[in-house]
Amino acid sequence: MNTLAESSTVQSRESVKMKSPEKEALIAAHQREFTKTIGEIASPNPRIAAREVNVYYGDKHAIQNIGLDIGHNEVIALIGPSGCGKSTFLRCLNRMNDTIPGCRVTGSIRLDGQDIYEGGLDVVPLRAQVGMVFQKPNPFPKSIYENVAYGPKIHGLASTKAELEEIVETSLRRAGLWDEVKDDLAKPGTSLSGGQQQRLCIARTIAVGPEVILMDEPCSALDPIATAKIEQLIDELRELYTIAIVTHSMQQAARVSQRTAYFHLGRLIEVGETAQIFTNPRHPLTEDYITGRFG
Amino acid sequence: MNSEVSQVLSKRNLDIVNASLKRRHAAESRFRLYGLLSIGAGILMLVILLGSIFGKGYRAFSQTYIGLDVHFDPAVIDPEGLRNPEALAGADYNALLKRSLGELFPEVTDRQEKRALNRLVSGGAAYSVRDEVLAHPELLGGTSRLWVSAGPDVDMLEKGYVDRDAAEAERIMKDRELGWVDKLKADGRLERRFNVKFFTAGDSRDPEQAGIWGALMGSLYTVLVTLVLSLPIGVAAAIYLEEFAPRNRWVDFIEVNINNLAAVPSIVFGLLGLAVFINFFGVPRSSPLVGGLVLTLMTLPVIIIAARSALKSVPPSIREAAMGIGASPMQTVFHHVVPLAMPGMLTGAIIGMSRALGESAPLLMIGMVAFIVDIPHSIFDPATVLPVQVYLWADSPERGFVERTSAAILVLLAFLILMNGTAVYLRRRFERRW
Amino acid sequence: MTKSTLFFVLVLLCLAAYRVGCHRSMQVASGNIRALHSLPGYYGFFTALWCCIPALILLGGWLAFEGSIITQMIVSGLPEDVRSQSPEQLGLILNDVRNLVAGKGASSQNLVLQQAAQDYIRLHALSDMLLGVLALSAAVIGGFVARQRIQVSLKARNHVEGALMIFLIACSMVAIFTTVGIVLSVLFESIRFFQLVPITEFLFGTDWSPQMAIRPDQVGSSGAFGAVPLFTGTLLISAIAMAVAVPVGLLSAIYMAEYASPQVRAFGKPLLEILAGVPTVVYGFFAALTVAPFVRDTAQSMGLDASSESALAAGLVMGVMIIPFVSSLADDFINAVPQSLRDGAYALGATQSETIRNVVIPAALPGIVGGILLAVSRAIGETMIVVMAAGLAANLTGNPLQAVTTVTTQIVTLLVGDQEFDSPKTLAAFALGLVLFLATLALNVLAMHIVRKYREQYE
Repeated sequence: MNTLAESSTVQSRESVKMKSPEKEALIAAHQREFTKTIGEIASPNPRIAAREVNVYYGDKHAIQNIGLDIGHNEVIALIGPSGCGKSTFLRCLNRMNDTIPGCRVTGSIRLDGQDIYEGGLDVVPLRAQVGMVFQKPNPFPKSIYENVAYGPKIHGLASTKAELEEIVETSLRRAGLWDEVKDDLAKPGTSLSGGQQQRLCIARTIAVGPEVILMDEPCSALDPIATAKIEQLIDELRELYTIAIVTHSMQQAARVSQRTAYFHLGRLIEVGETAQIFTNPRHPLTEDYITGRFG
Repeated sequence: MNSEVSQVLSKRNLDIVNASLKRRHAAESRFRLYGLLSIGAGILMLVILLGSIFGKGYRAFSQTYIGLDVHFDPAVIDPEGLRNPEALAGADYNALLKRSLGELFPEVTDRQEKRALNRLVSGGAAYSVRDEVLAHPELLGGTSRLWVSAGPDVDMLEKGYVDRDAAEAERIMKDRELGWVDKLKADGRLERRFNVKFFTAGDSRDPEQAGIWGALMGSLYTVLVTLVLSLPIGVAAAIYLEEFAPRNRWVDFIEVNINNLAAVPSIVFGLLGLAVFINFFGVPRSSPLVGGLVLTLMTLPVIIIAARSALKSVPPSIREAAMGIGASPMQTVFHHVVPLAMPGMLTGAIIGMSRALGESAPLLMIGMVAFIVDIPHSIFDPATVLPVQVYLWADSPERGFVERTSAAILVLLAFLILMNGTAVYLRRRFERRW
Repeated sequence: MTKSTLFFVLVLLCLAAYRVGCHRSMQVASGNIRALHSLPGYYGFFTALWCCIPALILLGGWLAFEGSIITQMIVSGLPEDVRSQSPEQLGLILNDVRNLVAGKGASSQNLVLQQAAQDYIRLHALSDMLLGVLALSAAVIGGFVARQRIQVSLKARNHVEGALMIFLIACSMVAIFTTVGIVLSVLFESIRFFQLVPITEFLFGTDWSPQMAIRPDQVGSSGAFGAVPLFTGTLLISAIAMAVAVPVGLLSAIYMAEYASPQVRAFGKPLLEILAGVPTVVYGFFAALTVAPFVRDTAQSMGLDASSESALAAGLVMGVMIIPFVSSLADDFINAVPQSLRDGAYALGATQSETIRNVVIPAALPGIVGGILLAVSRAIGETMIVVMAAGLAANLTGNPLQAVTTVTTQIVTLLVGDQEFDSPKTLAAFALGLVLFLATLALNVLAMHIVRKYREQYE
């Protein structure tokens, strides 16, 4: 929510700055030039396939004509400067944008061949399949156990108490938190450290048994040690889940992802193998960004 | 565990989730419905409340008048021929009215019937005849048609409160009285007119003579006293607490006090007023002064809290800018911060005053419930206020007071709407986003 | 000179002092403003303050003590046999004297009274004159001294600001004085009451009939001051009110905050808030004339025996009054729950109502509980509705269809109308007031503590 508000104001400021005629001409040229994404957006075995996605916040055209596939068991990193629309795109993938008033999405996004923006589609099972981890750890004001058990409870995934306990333990283990909290499951989730809270949130997401996990800058509020732990965790989780991660840190993208997509001012500029993007970017904007000329 | 197993697991999960959907969505719509019903219930109660009061009260704005040909007989009014106001004021005008009525219905001779006939005209009608004579002494000796207010029963009949079809014994008006009224009506001597008296008279035991002017003036004086005292004190207190007060236990204690006073039952302030202002300081009982003092203490927390939030909304950059060019803290606050916070403070003050205007419980304690006919002319005169007048009339047994009570409530609500509307307007007009 | 003219003259003097101060400062600076420590206006204020503050202090002190001193002098001027009467009698006589002075009441034939009345008028005139002379000379001397003190180096602004600061601090102390005033006024009378009626009987007695004890010498033999039926009545009506207000207020706040479109909110919220602005006396009238007969008739049509002053009617209407209070507080607290918590639940696939019930409400719970406690404190202290719609009979019952009486109703009945200030009947009202004040104080402090803790959690 916060990041979105931020990014939209950033965009509005930029458009205000660019009001003089010559600048507008520049922008128009820019847009003609960059409408096509460089690189292969399709994936041989897509789990999520997005095509011609546009998002509007009221009158603001936040992301424009984005197409991107996310394959099975891959980690894809979405990078780009503030306000480029990477978070917005991520939130489209499990329809979290529905909670923002005035937000409109067009185009098609398919999850295992099923269009998730089809009229009448229920977001509840969708979000059970596509979980999300947020920028700031947001554990519920409940105990650690209740935090993880909440998802399985509302979906009725466990029929007995033992089963529920098993889900909680498995999820906490997968999130690498079990050994740290197994004796304090009754403690409030908010009493943990920032890094632990974020892993708790990941455990909470895993507990529902999703196929895809979306991560929106999951480490931006954490210290380096906690960040390292989460990155290691992402690497482990790749075996079981498809992961899309938005990050500000290019190093992080390079460390955890197989593919990387570079967003700029609401457009997907370039996508490709992570190694290729970072060593041999094809688009000048991508190059400028990864060499630190802006961002 | 490899990815195949995990996929099978999540497929199983998806089936469970899908199976639960129907139940969960039903719960969702039920929950939504409860919320909608609650809001509906609240609004329905508001509609019923206002509707029932309006339905009961709107008829009080008109009053039935009877046109009588009054012969201003000098022999009755001024037998000694003095023609000075004192003599004219002391005359027996009731006799004139009785005579006129008698002329209209010569067939009524029985004493008891005559008394019933005279009751068609309000007991206070004689005063309007007197006022007419005092205003126009030249009328003396002549005859002219005067419109005087009808008695309570006729008024009720005209406004449709009396069921003509009911058995005679159950009616407040008997058949012969109905006959008289019908004859007056046929002669064009019965009219419903706008009830001027309701807005210009003080309280009275007779519903058709009772008005709200006295209570309105009482309310005006009381609210004025409250405003004059609570606005400067409240604003000054807010300025101190928000701008100058150090963060210590003492100031915390003041704040706890203010917040608590905002939630203390109003009747407790009445006890305070009775014990301290009346019994200890000897402020005159029933006066708008003591009422205003009590309401000041009651509205102060409201004003202080509103003024503080108005001051809080002025960004620190304004203060820094003023301090930066060498203004003293006091100059900074009074030259820059307070003017910017003024609209917010005034809005708070108006809302505080509208609360004070509607308050009645503490005023019962300090004697503002007395039956007061005279219009108060200063803050030291005994007075009552509009809400207390409502309370007094609501307690009166006469049928005619029900509609007066409702009408007085309508007037009170009109004032409150006016004040709150002004506050909303001020807020919209001067609202500033930093 | 009357006090109002005196006041007027003082204001004029202050204005004059301001001019003198300004002028004098320019004089000592020989026209060069930059030589002065402060702006000339501050020297004007400085002089004006010196002019009016001593005079105002004198005036205030005079007004506070004038009445009692003159009364003392009148009393000592009365003949011996009159003076030796009981204090109540003496009070009545003084009242007669005052009435005589005001020209109210029949002109008494009593020579003693007439003499006293004349003394009274004479003393008042003397006092007014003395006050006038003293206050005006204080003003003039003060102003003059201040004028003499004006020098180029005088820090007039600091003096003026210091005086202003004292005024600001004094104003912020009013809240404390009010609390102290409330505590003292109810405490003293209550202590006197508990000397007449044991505190245990008051708190635990179940029989309340204060009307019996009209004369002080009857206390204990026939008057009964067991307040338990009042407490239960208050609790019964408050409970009914909360049973209406909490669910309706909470659910409408939830709907407004979570579901309603901006249009519905813009329309519905002010409508609900109108309910909060309606004066309580209007609710009382509505309860007594519309709801109470309705409740009685409905109950009778169902074959139940209902009083026309049923607790249910008063409680229902009180509940309606409290709905907007609960809903606006709950709305605040629900909106204070960070969106990130909601997002967390949505991302797990929770429906909106599951998110609200399992995440938002538990997170907002402390605040909501605090708000409900504040609402309870309002219900307990609400006066007009129960005075107009609840009964006077102190029934010890839990049946909402019967008439019960409440603490506030009894305070009003005991204190309205003619009263002797020393009878246990009126003192009982203060004892009830003490209980009411303490109960609401406890609720308020607890509620504010909870709410403050809650706000800190999300700030």
